[in-house]
Amino acid sequence: MLHRSWRRAATAAVAALLAASSIAACSEDPSDAKDLSENRAGAMADYAIGKQFKASEPVSFSILYNNHPNYPLREDWLFWNELKSRANVTLSPVAVPLSDYEQKRSLLIGAGDAPMIIPKTYPGQEDAYVSSGAVLPVSDYLDLMPNLQDKISRWNLKPEIDTRRQEDGKFYLLPGLHEKPWQDYSLAIRTDILDELKLSPPKTWDELYTVLKAMKAKYPNVYPFSDRWSKPNPAGNLLNILAVSYGLQGAGWNFQHTSWDANAKKFVYTGATEQYKQMLQYLNKLVSEKLLDPESFTQTDEQARQKLANSKSFVISANAQAVVNDYRPDLAKTNPKAKIAKIPLPIGPAGEVNPASRLENGVMISSKARESKNFVAMMQFIDWLWYSDAGQEFAKWGVEGTTFVRDAAGQPKLAPDVNVIGLNPKAPKHLQKDFGFYNGVFAYGGKPELVQGFFSPEEQEFQKVLNARPPVAVPPPHPLSDEEREQASLWETPLKDAVYQATLQFALGQRDLSQWDAYLAELKGKNMDAYLTMVNKAYDRYQKDHG
Amino acid sequence: MVTVDAADTASGSDLPARARPRGIRPTRGYRVFQACNAVVLTIVVVVTLFPFVNVVARSLSDEQYIIAGKVNFVPRGFNLDTYRLVLHDSLFWTNYRNTVFYTVVATVISIVLTTCYAYVLSKKHLRGRTALIGIAVFTMFFTGGLIPNYVLVTSLGMKNTVWAIAVPNAINVFNLLVMKAFFESLPTDLEEAAAVDGLNTYGILLRIVLPLSKAIVATMVLFYAVAFWNSWFAAFLYMDQQELWPVTVYLRNLIAGATGAENVGVIAEADEVQADATLKAVTIVLTTLPILVVYPFVQRYFVRGVMLGAVKG
Repeated sequence: MLHRSWRRAATAAVAALLAASSIAACSEDPSDAKDLSENRAGAMADYAIGKQFKASEPVSFSILYNNHPNYPLREDWLFWNELKSRANVTLSPVAVPLSDYEQKRSLLIGAGDAPMIIPKTYPGQEDAYVSSGAVLPVSDYLDLMPNLQDKISRWNLKPEIDTRRQEDGKFYLLPGLHEKPWQDYSLAIRTDILDELKLSPPKTWDELYTVLKAMKAKYPNVYPFSDRWSKPNPAGNLLNILAVSYGLQGAGWNFQHTSWDANAKKFVYTGATEQYKQMLQYLNKLVSEKLLDPESFTQTDEQARQKLANSKSFVISANAQAVVNDYRPDLAKTNPKAKIAKIPLPIGPAGEVNPASRLENGVMISSKARESKNFVAMMQFIDWLWYSDAGQEFAKWGVEGTTFVRDAAGQPKLAPDVNVIGLNPKAPKHLQKDFGFYNGVFAYGGKPELVQGFFSPEEQEFQKVLNARPPVAVPPPHPLSDEEREQASLWETPLKDAVYQATLQFALGQRDLSQWDAYLAELKGKNMDAYLTMVNKAYDRYQKDHG
Repeated sequence: MVTVDAADTASGSDLPARARPRGIRPTRGYRVFQACNAVVLTIVVVVTLFPFVNVVARSLSDEQYIIAGKVNFVPRGFNLDTYRLVLHDSLFWTNYRNTVFYTVVATVISIVLTTCYAYVLSKKHLRGRTALIGIAVFTMFFTGGLIPNYVLVTSLGMKNTVWAIAVPNAINVFNLLVMKAFFESLPTDLEEAAAVDGLNTYGILLRIVLPLSKAIVATMVLFYAVAFWNSWFAAFLYMDQQELWPVTVYLRNLIAGATGAENVGVIAEADEVQADATLKAVTIVLTTLPILVVYPFVQRYFVRGVMLGAVKG
């Protein structure tokens, strides 16, 4: 006991010290953020949209590199050589195993030892580094990045970008951008059973109910819908796609505490909304009529796959990969006649929306890079490689004539002797392993043609349907201050636990929906109102200061 | 056990009990005890061996059967694809070599330092002994934390070298205390006799104490070597190039790549997908195999050594 209390005291002391030092770091404001005259070495004077970036002298940038085991880093990749010849840039990667990338990133940033370019950072992950001052507020330097600015305005991404703004009105992450949202997750359904019952694939959640009912009538001993992805959160995918089609921000494995109520112009608590209640009513209807397997909320993925493979269920959550790599091979072994396909995301009361975010993982810049004499060249280089059409195509497809060729319409096609994701299985060379292109660190986002370049015709069809739907409206910025964020995280965990628990109880019928008000009172007991007040205050504050 | 019992019964039926030539006839109770013992121990052996056999079987099976939970003792859908995938990667061998190198260097350093420190601490007449023990024990309870450690090691220029792995972890305080207890248990008369015969402190340590301490040294070698063999965190922190990683980091990354969300939405290749279920098993087999091979030869010291230290200390 004695040791423990010592330890606690020591921890507190260290924490206080750290806090003090970070405050000190905060107050060190660079005298003039915009004076770049010392930092233009190697930069192009006339860099603009549509222009190939080429540094005026050889430059070298350090970069944190997420090393994927399927295509481990190689120094002889064509990618590096081409960067050198096209852009006069040498990247020196700090290789970090993908398994623990985030931990090493925190460590390096915390220790002040971070490389200049820190890619593979997902929106929201940058929040932790803002107050330390270790990460550059990139929004101050957008004028160095014409392609990025152009894409934000042409693709109407300002609202999305605004969600990344911090309390100071700046953003610290250069996110990957999609012109069209890319929704991968939906449901997969046994189409041979649909044919047998003379039904067409369900377009809405109500039609899904009818289809499940018909399946149950024909196969009374079967739970037609048995779901997967229930670890660690129950029915992670199902709850999420249901919530978004009811107009909420997200639930399940994408649980969002707040949703934006556009009419009332304020944030509401997702788990306490009328829509959430309706969605639970829907789930409860499926469970009580034995259409949805109650084990859906607890079983492992393997169990769910087994049920599907053995025709003990016909509907399951899916993404493109699960259909091709899991469900079809499983079914081929047990039931060669079975057919399964992903259906477009069922439509709910919110109407046709594409819920996927248009922001991707992106790049942070170490504050130290601002001191480099090549800083401007680096920003131009990042703009070219990650945000220009030519750079994006290069990072994904490689070099024309070597790794890809163009068809009559000018669209890139894989060269016949190059393989990637099994498109040319007999080809001797591999786009990722042997050439270093289509690398998760450099290639993502862009125009739908580019994003969907390697998709199967089936998946392209799916995306066509979903791309026709308007992207979901993003909530307005409501950045929390450091203390608020700390307070919020204390409130969030118990609230989330309470919502998950009640969700399960309501859906499974262990708790009657007439007790909804009692449930709301429980949430209030866990500081829901205080939490909402804080978020709405942050929204008002931001509106006042920067709106 | 079973054969012995059978032989006993056979001889018992031939001769009258009193005329049994050797030993005392086991009582009924003792026989029951032996039978129960045999059964219980057999169960224990099966329970302990099962995970190993199961892992080996999984590593040789088709993924479909593993997911279906059909693999127990015997591989189903025998295939070596995952082994091929792992063993054909030159990086795997580079990293395996690193593991051997790091383990050997780090173990040697650890043994030398721990022995010296423990021997000094075992001398009751040493002034400041309590302070020295206190310093060691202090580190069991408090650490500088991740970032200060990283800054320290980096600014000492040890990043991307074997020293980053070997030096910060050189003395394990638990091992140190076990070793100190062992040295304390050695009769002081021996050392006094050696001193009378003209040996200095180092001579006593090298010619008298260490030859008598083979057991504890072997135990410590085992403890340290296994720990360094399995460790990945230090290497992960301090190694910036994949050519410097030990095999543990390599395999850890491989598993993450096979199971991670990195590939979501894109159809991964079949040979890469196979990995998921089998890969873990293959990983376990490949990393534990050398230890399994070495263990039986060191284990007899291991038992004696710890008992000696523990009982008398």
